[in-house]
Amino acid sequence: MAYSDKVLDHYNNPRNVGALDKSNEDVGTGVVGAPECGDVMKLQIKVEGDRIVDAKFKTFGCGSAIASSSLATEWVKGKTLDEASTIRNTEIVQELSLPPVKIHCSVLAEDAIKAAIADYKKKTDTGTSSSEKVKQEAP
Amino acid sequence: MTDNCPKCWADLRTPLFCESCDEVLDTQNDSPFRILGMAQGFHLDRMSLRKRLLHLSRHLHPDVHGTADDATRDLAQRKTAELNAAFQILEDDFRRASWLVRSLGGPTEETEPQMPQAFLTEVLEWNEAVEEARTSEPGSTESARLAGLEDELRSERKKLMDGVAAKLTPLPELGSPELVEVRHKLNALRYLDRTLCQLEELRLKQANSPS
Repeated sequence: MAYSDKVLDHYNNPRNVGALDKSNEDVGTGVVGAPECGDVMKLQIKVEGDRIVDAKFKTFGCGSAIASSSLATEWVKGKTLDEASTIRNTEIVQELSLPPVKIHCSVLAEDAIKAAIADYKKKTDTGTSSSEKVKQEAP
Repeated sequence: MTDNCPKCWADLRTPLFCESCDEVLDTQNDSPFRILGMAQGFHLDRMSLRKRLLHLSRHLHPDVHGTADDATRDLAQRKTAELNAAFQILEDDFRRASWLVRSLGGPTEETEPQMPQAFLTEVLEWNEAVEEARTSEPGSTESARLAGLEDELRSERKKLMDGVAAKLTPLPELGSPELVEVRHKLNALRYLDRTLCQLEELRLKQANSPS
């Protein structure tokens, strides 16, 4: 099976590989995995206010998993937490032209974004309550 | 479910063919235990499993049916493939346990993929250690650390597999919540095995490279 050009590009020049200081208050860390293939993905976000100012990832897995997480870090940078949490795996599938057998890689990337946001909100706590309040107040 | 041969009415020990009249049967059965005529359970005697495989293959092998009509030869070939697939599930502890969990109505690794963050972080660290050692010199501290990691993972693997065996003996009831616990252990084994596989590969490569 051939990888698409975009997957190859991310695979050969992955964006934002690395790590942020996990213990830092403004860093959220999400680690997710797929037991079927043994892939593991770590995605970290650095948040200022409610905006993601930096993102890093480390993925052990196939080319599609690496490309999905690389793309995910590109996409979340500059977005607010609420905007980032609306990123869907289907958008990743579309952007990278992933074949049906590789859809779980994009699901993993979406889950990693969500897990990182959840971890950040849990750390700061106020994040969760304020965004919930907004939702409740909205008609 | 066919329990008697449709031709000679002898009791069937396998849905693949009649051991009494040698008729190859075209029945649907996806239980590897039934196909090999073994009692369903996690523990099984490897010797008798091998004996059953050899015994059944002898009767079913396409060569034995070389002079039969096309349809029978074709059927024998298909049934031999089913037999081999069933054997591969039963001879492997992981695959046998995974099959049992699913057949008892428990979750699959697709429906229950979640693992605790702490565990996944550990998996990530194993992978990082492997990656570091891959780029370092043989005999360095990194590769020495790998030997320690391999031992650690092997004993962890044994612990997990013993846990799976204990939970599946006797077999839990249909849909029992214990099946979810077994699936989590099997998921952990998947990650472990993948890392162990990479460690082994690396060890072989380093042993073969001139230092």
